[in-house]
Amino acid sequence: MSKYSRYVVADSSKCTGCKACELACFAEHNKKSNGVGFTVGTVEVPVTPKLYLTKLEAYCMPIQCKHCEDAPCLNACQKHAIYRTEDKQVIVDENKCIGCKDCVMACPFGAIAILPKSEKGTFKLQKDKEVVKVASKCDLCEGIEGGPACVRVCPNEALQIIDADCETLAKNIRAAEGLYASRF
Amino acid sequence: MGVPEIEDAKLIFNFGYNGADSHPIVQRRIVRAKQKGATIITADPRVTEAARIADIHLQLKGGTNIVLVNAMCNVIYNEGLVDQNFIDTMTNDYDKFVEVIKKYTPEYAEGICKVPADLIRKAARTYAKAPTAMILYGMGVCQFGQAVDVVKALGSLALMTGNYGKPASGIGPVRGQNNVQGACDMGALPNNYPGYQPVTNPDVQAKFEKAWGVKLSNKNGIPLTHVPHYVLEEKDPNKQIHAYYIFGEDPAQSDPDVGEVREALEKIDFVVMQDIFMNKTGEFADVILPSTAWNEHDGVYSCCDRGFQRIRKVVEPPKNVKTDWEIICEISTAMGYKMKYKDTEEIWNELIDLCPNFAGATYEKLEKLGSVQWPCRSKDMSDTGTVYLHKGKFTNPDGKGKFYTADWRPPKEVENDEYPLSFSTVREVGHYSVRTMTGNCRALRNLEDEPGWIQMNPKDCEELNIKHGDLVKVLNKRGWCITRCNATNRVEKGATYMTYQWWIGCCNELTIGSNLDPVSNTPEYKYCNCRVERLDDQKKAWDFVQNEYQDLRKRMGIRVVGKEAK
Repeated sequence: MSKYSRYVVADSSKCTGCKACELACFAEHNKKSNGVGFTVGTVEVPVTPKLYLTKLEAYCMPIQCKHCEDAPCLNACQKHAIYRTEDKQVIVDENKCIGCKDCVMACPFGAIAILPKSEKGTFKLQKDKEVVKVASKCDLCEGIEGGPACVRVCPNEALQIIDADCETLAKNIRAAEGLYASRF
Repeated sequence: MGVPEIEDAKLIFNFGYNGADSHPIVQRRIVRAKQKGATIITADPRVTEAARIADIHLQLKGGTNIVLVNAMCNVIYNEGLVDQNFIDTMTNDYDKFVEVIKKYTPEYAEGICKVPADLIRKAARTYAKAPTAMILYGMGVCQFGQAVDVVKALGSLALMTGNYGKPASGIGPVRGQNNVQGACDMGALPNNYPGYQPVTNPDVQAKFEKAWGVKLSNKNGIPLTHVPHYVLEEKDPNKQIHAYYIFGEDPAQSDPDVGEVREALEKIDFVVMQDIFMNKTGEFADVILPSTAWNEHDGVYSCCDRGFQRIRKVVEPPKNVKTDWEIICEISTAMGYKMKYKDTEEIWNELIDLCPNFAGATYEKLEKLGSVQWPCRSKDMSDTGTVYLHKGKFTNPDGKGKFYTADWRPPKEVENDEYPLSFSTVREVGHYSVRTMTGNCRALRNLEDEPGWIQMNPKDCEELNIKHGDLVKVLNKRGWCITRCNATNRVEKGATYMTYQWWIGCCNELTIGSNLDPVSNTPEYKYCNCRVERLDDQKKAWDFVQNEYQDLRKRMGIRVVGKEAK
């Protein structure tokens, strides 16, 4: 098992901004609760991805949760609605969340959004008929076969899962090879 | 050249082509080429994805394409970077060409196209020195009053550097629409039979008359973009257009100056619309014929690289909905010419037998090879089509490539005091064309919906006191629309851009219909002027947008279900 939580990062030089990751993320997370299938006609609720294509002058890439080791969102949540799994992934428990937005304020990456909560194609309503909204963020497709949907669908292979441990080791090896080669 | 070769190019020169938004699947190949070490040069007034990953971005002012191309040719000529052997043995008219480009020094060009002279030099040298270089051009070249000239000038740029007839070289029109190549190949042009055989050629006329057993006209028809003229301005009733049969097209949304188009559609005596869903043109139709969608019928499709591919039915169409070809057969029969086919293969066989350049592209071959690029003249399985159109010799009668360029003609309608911004139409990923298909898809509507966006430089927004996301009014002397402001540094100050698919934020209310390229008759979608106005009462503006949209959908009979139904 990895020492650190894993997370998905995008390579801006490969991303073309096609939003396939956003749609795949939404579809995966709404298959069970909202009956979203493989065809577009099955979508009844708003498309609410857990990663956000961000396009600036020099960049274009989706931004999503980094599952921080010292997670500001988790530490800020007074309802204990954000917890860490055995795999060290940081997850929102939508049933405990009250939409107070403390996590949104705490997250330095803008990886959390407050979104309407829907089940079986209908929104949950409060007493005043206002739609229930809760925190939503990347859960690394926990419990979904094949792992993160965004990584699987990207046509340009611009997204990859990062394991910080492996990353360090790979870089150590590259650096050692470079130093070794430079002797000759 | 073929689309898959893009991945192997050593240099890609993207000119007015924004693959990421118009063809993400082609852009994927550009990204792969870059990963494999290709140099990318992009000429585009905006920072598109192709510009963002480019090694050199030539951010020219809109409407100055030919100035930039001529200047690059000028540098290549003056610095002796030409392929002289290729020019001597394979081409004509080089001297005439050189006479025109002499004037276009990088410094002279900088004054017009606003690209720094040294950057033009760098781009020209990089292009000329690449072992093989591929030019991809899109609607940023074609949708101007001066368009064909620029295509020929880009062709000449490839000629002077010998970039033809070998892998990953040449010049590729990446076309504006899916299967627009197929539409042209099949003779959906006013001057050609299928296979680019001119209607004015008596031999061709005789051949088709014999095959079909009818008398045929030897006169060119009317280009689509001339239709409003022949309805609104033509005085001779014998020359006027009285009936208009439109299929798979939504001119009331897609054509420039839709105000004029609406006037024309209202005035025409009889309009037939044949499409898969209701659209804006349908509002003017006397008869609406429902037809099948791309996945509900068989057929052949041409890719932009001249490659024929089979398309196959994957779902059953709704009952009583016929395919386009069945409808055409029945209408033809009702009008007195008995037309009957058993399937699309029978139609295709008749077609290829009448078109020498397609003669060998049988269904059997398409099945076996996946794609066959025409010319493919022999039915023998050994003729697998033509990847390089100009290999060894050019397709001109004398076998040589012809140099050509022209002097710059500025766009017809430029910025002025009343309308101080330039205005251009662009594409965005997620929605296709006029949205007849994708606008009816809930997932895609969810990602991006009415009233669309106008891309503006943040400095212009600041001057107008508008924020990102505000509803604004965009107008010029032809029309207006309401859309949202997208403040982005990806566009230059003074220039604005809108995508053309929104029904409410309808940018073709503003575009100009009267400046067509003299050869292609394509309108100047990429340049006119406009003014953007702040809307003080945002709530009222949002209500207006919502109401207009709901009314329109209701008038079109779109069944509003689930959460959307109020």
